[in-house]
Amino acid sequence: MSGGGTWGLILLVTGLFLAIPHSTRRTRNAGGLLITAGIVSILYALPRFGPWFEQLVFWALALLTVGASAAAISMRSPVYAAIWFAVSLLGTAGLLVQQHAQFVGVATMVVYAGAIVVTFLFVVMLAQPEGHETHDRLSWGRLAKPASILAGGTLMALLGSACGAVLNGDIPRAGDGQSLLDDSSELARLGNELFSVHLLAVELVGTLLLVALVGAIALMIHGRERRATREVPDA
Amino acid sequence: MPEASQQLFNYLIVGGLVFALGTIGFIVRRNLIVMFLCAEMMLQGVSISLVGWGRYHDRLGGQMLVLFMIAVAACEAGVALALIVMLYQKSGKLDVTFWQGVREEGRAAFVDRNVPRELDREDHWPRLTPAGIEPTLDEEAPLHRSRV
Amino acid sequence: MFAIEKLILWIPALPLLAALITALLGPKFLRSTCHIPAIIGIGASFLFSLLLLTEVRREQDAAPPGGFERIVTVWNWANLNDAYEHAEAAQPPRAVPLRIDVVMRIDALTSMMLCMVTSVATLVAVFAAGYMHGDRGYWRFFSYVSLFVFSMTMLVSVSNFALLFVFWEAVGVCSYLLIGFWYEKPEAAAAGKKAFLVNRVGDFGFALALFLIWTTYGTLDFHDSQSVDSIASNATAVAADDSLIAASVANPGTSGVLGKARIASGGYVGGAVGFVICALLLLGACGKSAQFPLHVWLPDAMEGPTPVSALIHAATMVTAGVYMVARCTPLFMASPDAQVLVSCVGGLTALLAGLIALTQWDLKRVLAYSTVSQLGFMFLGLGTGSLAGITAAMFHLFTHAFFKAVLFLGAGSVMHAMGNVIDMRRFGGLRRIMPITYGTFLIGSLALAGVPPLAGFWSKDAVLGAVHDKLHLYEQQIELRHAQGGGAADATTDPARAGIGGLETLTDGQLVCGIQAYGWLYYAATLTAFLTAFYTLRALLLTFHGTERVPHEAHGHAHESPASMTFPLMVLAAAACIAGLFFDQTYNASLPSGQRHSFAAFLASAPQLAAGAVGKTPALDSFHLSVAATSVLVSLAGIGLAMYLYLGDTREVRVLTSLFNLDGVVQSLDVRRVFRWRWVAALDRMARRAGLGLVATVTGYLLGAVLIVVSAPLLVAMYVSPYRLSQRKFYFDELYDWGIVRPLRGFSRLLASADRWLIDSLVNFVGAVPPAIGAVCRRMQTGLVPFYALAMLLAMLLLLASQL
Repeated sequence: MSGGGTWGLILLVTGLFLAIPHSTRRTRNAGGLLITAGIVSILYALPRFGPWFEQLVFWALALLTVGASAAAISMRSPVYAAIWFAVSLLGTAGLLVQQHAQFVGVATMVVYAGAIVVTFLFVVMLAQPEGHETHDRLSWGRLAKPASILAGGTLMALLGSACGAVLNGDIPRAGDGQSLLDDSSELARLGNELFSVHLLAVELVGTLLLVALVGAIALMIHGRERRATREVPDA
Repeated sequence: MPEASQQLFNYLIVGGLVFALGTIGFIVRRNLIVMFLCAEMMLQGVSISLVGWGRYHDRLGGQMLVLFMIAVAACEAGVALALIVMLYQKSGKLDVTFWQGVREEGRAAFVDRNVPRELDREDHWPRLTPAGIEPTLDEEAPLHRSRV
Repeated sequence: MFAIEKLILWIPALPLLAALITALLGPKFLRSTCHIPAIIGIGASFLFSLLLLTEVRREQDAAPPGGFERIVTVWNWANLNDAYEHAEAAQPPRAVPLRIDVVMRIDALTSMMLCMVTSVATLVAVFAAGYMHGDRGYWRFFSYVSLFVFSMTMLVSVSNFALLFVFWEAVGVCSYLLIGFWYEKPEAAAAGKKAFLVNRVGDFGFALALFLIWTTYGTLDFHDSQSVDSIASNATAVAADDSLIAASVANPGTSGVLGKARIASGGYVGGAVGFVICALLLLGACGKSAQFPLHVWLPDAMEGPTPVSALIHAATMVTAGVYMVARCTPLFMASPDAQVLVSCVGGLTALLAGLIALTQWDLKRVLAYSTVSQLGFMFLGLGTGSLAGITAAMFHLFTHAFFKAVLFLGAGSVMHAMGNVIDMRRFGGLRRIMPITYGTFLIGSLALAGVPPLAGFWSKDAVLGAVHDKLHLYEQQIELRHAQGGGAADATTDPARAGIGGLETLTDGQLVCGIQAYGWLYYAATLTAFLTAFYTLRALLLTFHGTERVPHEAHGHAHESPASMTFPLMVLAAAACIAGLFFDQTYNASLPSGQRHSFAAFLASAPQLAAGAVGKTPALDSFHLSVAATSVLVSLAGIGLAMYLYLGDTREVRVLTSLFNLDGVVQSLDVRRVFRWRWVAALDRMARRAGLGLVATVTGYLLGAVLIVVSAPLLVAMYVSPYRLSQRKFYFDELYDWGIVRPLRGFSRLLASADRWLIDSLVNFVGAVPPAIGAVCRRMQTGLVPFYALAMLLAMLLLLASQL
């Protein structure tokens, strides 16, 4: 990775250290600024591709995705975290669409942002704390935050350098990348493949969803029953 | 084709960043719901990479995998949230450090030290309308930490 | 008529079957009827043995020269190809397979031993049915006894050294089990352990002998594995033919160690190797037959039940050593030095045990030492190395089994009546209470003492005569050589100077040595005969004569034993009466030579005694009037002395005891007496009056010190007076205790402490390392989920970094 990328990573990590809970509002603002600067410098250091418009859209979407992710893990309130995660999902969906994966992008939007995040929020509403919870402001050990942020930074650096192999063109392509460009028949091709080649997997995933549904309900009922039986002697 | 490689590189870096941020969040945060969010965030990073690779190789496999991932994530969300609700009903808290019964015998439980004062009173917290039933705390819960 | 190949299998099989039935069904179903399968099994075995004996007698007449034997191969036990590169001189080395078959043999020696073992065992089993009645381990006893009879019959009928060793150990195990039968008694447990351990020493020698036999002869079989009779008939025809020797040497695996071919060809190794083989075999025999220096276990073995003492430790098992040496006669014939050694061991043991038996108070112990002494007699006879001596030894073995069994069973009967009291000082005058026991015991005692015409006289006389003959043979040989002049260096090559009875190969030195040894041994044996008569009668008189005394353990109802115990006594006593006279008719000069002693003639048909060097020696055929007269006189003297001392007033006994205890010496050494002498006191008073009190005191002390130094050797007499030596069994137990047991125990303690402190601490250190590591690592088990996630992330980073 180039020098700009390295400095951007350092900025990003420093910003995260300042922004993640157990901090005052002031350091959080500074952290946010540092994170933004870091992301921008990383993106700027990335190699350019395609026409300027596409490049601009990518930068915007990438900034949105990564920035919102960083914000999601920095927010004290789970509500804010969930909302920022939804924003990050929006950016992700955008990136997917830009990759000519319109259906997947839309599915991400619908399933994640529409269903999962809403479920999160619902659970948050169930477990609405009265005041400020300590565990939302503290990590679990003195060294936990520095160690994990450093480890995460190292992970980023390692992933980046590992991706260098791509940049060198070491990895042969299986196709020329033209067939996916035709957006008009994208959905049809996807459907065709999904229900022919991956039919069994589709059926299995359907079964899995059903099992998960039954399991979730069973868990709730089971927990409630145990509570009920335990309360009987008291009553 | 160098342009395709550069494009893939861009997406991979973004996906990696999202993945790493999710990892950091998973480790640092203690709120069960936020931890779960972070896990989903890691999945997002992976799906960006997968789609990028699919584009690079001109195959639909990457998108297929992301589709299945979304389905599995939905299952996971359902089960995990059910579990979280159950845990919350038992302890009245969403703190992951509350559940450390698997620790080694004789090892002291983790207890928060130097709890921060409210430094910023003006901090505004979003308040949602409470839903569901107010959980009654489990009477045995306080004993839990000293059980092992 | 009868298939003797079947009989020889049934004889051991029946006791084994009885043992199994008793062991499996005894504790639950048979209970107090456990003796029935044992008596039936052993009794049937006895009948089969008798049948076998008659068949062997019939067969041996038709047998070719070289003796009669029949080999029955049961199954192949071990078969190792290329076990050993057998290298004879002048032969290229070649592989010899180690093949061990379970092979039974039928010949005169075996059938005689089988008859003796099973007959005594049957009677002892009948006796034990009464004696052991009501014992908690009733089934155990009969199971062990049947197992013992199985082992013993196998021991005398197998035809392989390896199997001989196996059953040698098997009878040892049975002996151990039966000595320690009342294992709650600490003495019994210790005695069993002692017997087992002492026997280990002998068995070690025996095992070494087997190894040496294997490396020397390339086989462990007694018999030839080729068609035996054809070779043997050829062999005797051309006994000196070199080609036959060459044939037997060329096929080292096929001609057995004691096979007819080898005996006929004389293919035995003499010299140092032959001597060592024989000496090691003798060591094994010493262990089993309780000969010096391994005799210490047998008296202690009397802690076992009395029927066991009668069966195992008097009649059968202890004669296994005698049987083995007799069986290995060809080996011993090859080494005259070893024969002298056998004789010396036997004579020394006989004398030693006889001396010890003089002063013992325990009735069974007297009998035990008497057994050791009589076994010594047998070894003495075996060591003469002549057919007469060996058959005489076996004859003594045969008669001894009966009269010693009757003595032991009589002692058992006395114990039974006296409430298990065996100390002769605590009872006496029992002849009116137990007349049958008294009568049979009297017959047994007289037989043991050697009073004609009872069995003991004939056999003991035969042994003494054989020794006497041997001595004369040596003297004649040396006279012959002196007459011809010159040494013995070329005696073998000069036919004119060929000597008498196979002595031509001996050097002059060996001859002189032999004359010395056999001369002393003859007198020692005669002295032992006197001692035997004395201590036997002493035991008899102390027990059954004198004033009637009954210990309180008898609870006032001392009585004659039941019929099941007296019946075997009477049968055995009858056998002890007639066994000698029936077989030994050497006094009858009208019979043709070779038929005068039917027992010896029968035994001489065993291949090991029929051919080879021993075949050239004189047979037991003549009656030595002078020897017989001497031994009878000596016996009567012993009996007369015992009667004089122990009948009526025992004042003379006390006098003799104090005399042999050197009480006079001890009293004379009492220094304090000096101060009581009047003139010493007067001298002292005079000195003090003259003002020299200090001088007088110092002089007195100095004189006392000098006296002590001078008399120090005499002080030793207080502890090793002849009486004490005999009473304390010549201090053999103490000697072994201080010489072997304690040093070994100290060494073991040293090793044990080294093990505990050195080895164990090393091992414990190794064992302490993982917990130490674990104690560090377990602090990481915090139970926090994010911590585990962090650990996973770090590990993943490591993996990633290693891949870059």
